[in-house]
Amino acid sequence: MRAGVEHGAELKRTIGTFQLTMFGVGATVGTGIFFVLSEAVPKSGPSVIISFLIAGLAAGLAAICYAELASTIPVSGSTYSYAYAALGEVVAMGVAACLLLEYGVSTAAVAVGWSQYLNKLFDNLFGFQLPAALSHAPWDDDPGVLNLPAVILVVLCALLLIRGASESAAVNTVMVIIKLSVLGMFIVIAFTAFDTDNLADFAPYGVSGIGMAAGTIFFSFIGLDAVSTAGEEVKDPQRTMPRAIIFALLTGVTIYVLLALTAVAAQPWTEFDGQEAGLAQILENIVGSPWPGTVVAAGAVISIFSVTLVTMYGQTRILFAMGRDGMLPRQFAQVNPRSQTPVFNTIVVAIIVSILAALVPLDKLADLVSIGTLVAFIVVSLGVIILRRTMPDIPRGFKVPGYPVTPVLSIVACVYVLSGLSWITYAWFLVWLAVVLAFYFLWGRRHSELNPGAKVVDPDNPIQGGQL
Amino acid sequence: MTIVVGFSPEKGGRAALELAVLLARSGQQEPLLVTTVTPQHWTTPSMARVDAEFQAWATGQGEAALRQAGEFLSGKAPDLEVSYRQVAGRSVPAALAKACADAGGSLLVLGSSRDSRPGQVVLGSTSEPLLHSSRFPVAIAPRGYRAHCAGISRMTCSYSGTEESGDLLVAVAEMSRRIGGTLRVVTFGVRGRTMYPPEVGLAAEDMVLAQWKEQIQGFQRQALHRLSELGLLPDSATAAIATGTDWADAMDEVEWLAGEVLVIGSSPLGTLARVFLGSRATKIIRYSPVPVVVVPAAVASKVADGVESESVTDPDG
Repeated sequence: MRAGVEHGAELKRTIGTFQLTMFGVGATVGTGIFFVLSEAVPKSGPSVIISFLIAGLAAGLAAICYAELASTIPVSGSTYSYAYAALGEVVAMGVAACLLLEYGVSTAAVAVGWSQYLNKLFDNLFGFQLPAALSHAPWDDDPGVLNLPAVILVVLCALLLIRGASESAAVNTVMVIIKLSVLGMFIVIAFTAFDTDNLADFAPYGVSGIGMAAGTIFFSFIGLDAVSTAGEEVKDPQRTMPRAIIFALLTGVTIYVLLALTAVAAQPWTEFDGQEAGLAQILENIVGSPWPGTVVAAGAVISIFSVTLVTMYGQTRILFAMGRDGMLPRQFAQVNPRSQTPVFNTIVVAIIVSILAALVPLDKLADLVSIGTLVAFIVVSLGVIILRRTMPDIPRGFKVPGYPVTPVLSIVACVYVLSGLSWITYAWFLVWLAVVLAFYFLWGRRHSELNPGAKVVDPDNPIQGGQL
Repeated sequence: MTIVVGFSPEKGGRAALELAVLLARSGQQEPLLVTTVTPQHWTTPSMARVDAEFQAWATGQGEAALRQAGEFLSGKAPDLEVSYRQVAGRSVPAALAKACADAGGSLLVLGSSRDSRPGQVVLGSTSEPLLHSSRFPVAIAPRGYRAHCAGISRMTCSYSGTEESGDLLVAVAEMSRRIGGTLRVVTFGVRGRTMYPPEVGLAAEDMVLAQWKEQIQGFQRQALHRLSELGLLPDSATAAIATGTDWADAMDEVEWLAGEVLVIGSSPLGTLARVFLGSRATKIIRYSPVPVVVVPAAVASKVADGVESESVTDPDG
């Protein structure tokens, strides 16, 4: 596939509702759903279905706000770029701290989930599993030394990124089809074991349980903002954008809710705790034969690989943008002349993500991803309100319908989902935010590009028009 | 220094001769050695001389080929000093490399593979191994190449920004000064493909490309500065950065003259690295509309070292 952006030429608006929806579904479905049930169901019981609806609502509202912010600010990229351009350096740095969780930590989380399904696949196909010492983190329920498959996956993806590999739009569509087929197969088979007795104890921990599960589940909705970043190339964004977000969200929510419903009806909710490669395991228990588990595990191994690649890529490009803005050392924005990719940046990301994936258990990673993403989404929704007040006349390619109710609702929903996360997650998040802001005040503030006193760019005139 | 032409009548031999004539006439005229490789006969002693008939046939083929080359060259370039040689060998690339070394040749000229379309440079079974193992520069003519020019009009150095390509640039500039014509430094770059789904926007790779351009501009400035310090920078020298969504696009971005030659360095890295990083040089060669001279990194760095030590001992030179 050719690149979406026509080189050098003016941007063409070519993306329609269907393709945009595919971006959203491709980026959302598959990030968390393959392993989030075994983390969320023990917190809420069968009422996890409601948690999915709440998390989906929050993600959808935030994505709509995101679309307005993306269309207001004439820069392309992530929330970091929008925050940098509209809300200044400090906010941008805070958002960057959140995005490092949304992308970097989620890469690690996804890699850990991949490792579970890989082990499951090995077990089913070859009757062989990696020992716990090599497939579990030291602080897991079943402690090991390090999670080796996760590290290998991260390293492989880093090598591909250094080589300049990318996932084309066609491959994205194939991945979406694989994920949807595998999840569809799960729903159909799990439905045959539908047992209302399993739903009898619907909300064992009441409303607070639902909220806690929603916080964890939110992880499986990240990526919905991918729709919003494509704004510049979308045909008739005022119509297409909300439709695509709603279609992608409806697809995701429908699948998640059906999947959660059939899963919690297929086995008692108490059995979810600690279940590895959960979806494959549930199907095996239902059918009493390993083949459906093998199919699910194979689908998961293929599609989660692509999710890891895409998320890790996102992380390197966010750091690249920060390096170009002078918020991080310049090396992060260095392109290797041989491979024409940011090699240093990719290696740093790979090392940090590998360490996280090797040593931290999945549930801790997932909660950190959720908190980072939720806070970033709150900033986005606030950003919409702030910009409507400070720059009311700036042209907006897409305006939030139902302003000011929508952004306020988005904030309320995100805050509600946030409230379900544990105090440990908050503590880690605050420590992390403090570290990043301290770095900014001690280093970034003096080196950044916006700060006129500290220009670090080469003042030489660049060669104009490529001719000397 | 002799220019050695690997000639095979069917395999782009005519284009190779055209290019060899252009190169030989550029600057100081240089002698040509037309070499054709015939199969090695069996040397097993045998009373029945079983292989003699084949050997005689092979030699006849070689002679016919050389005669054909001779007819073409005597019409095209009667002024050039040309010699002809037939060598026997089991492997054509190895036999050519040996013939070039024996003749003290400075450059080996080949045609494109028959698989190429007219005007395209495609490596074949002879040129491909030579490019990966040759100790001399290898020039490859596009399929059906016709020079339409008395000498090289411009040398374009494909400069990637690495240290090795800096040495290559010095070597090219030095050669350009000797043979005349203008010098151009071009860096070719391809925009990375957009990652789907676009989690950080569809334009993330534009940012990487912009940064790459800035870096390359800096590298080019430094490289041209080094040339001017060595006294090798002609006033007519130009520099350009050519980018595109793919290599064909990037190669198309710049103007190409009649009589222009593109010089590119071969990778100093081993097989693993080449396979692993993907060879940019291979792609540049494939889409080049003009003849390509591939210079091994060792040759380029030797020339560059020579030029540098010369400029130290003789500051006026």
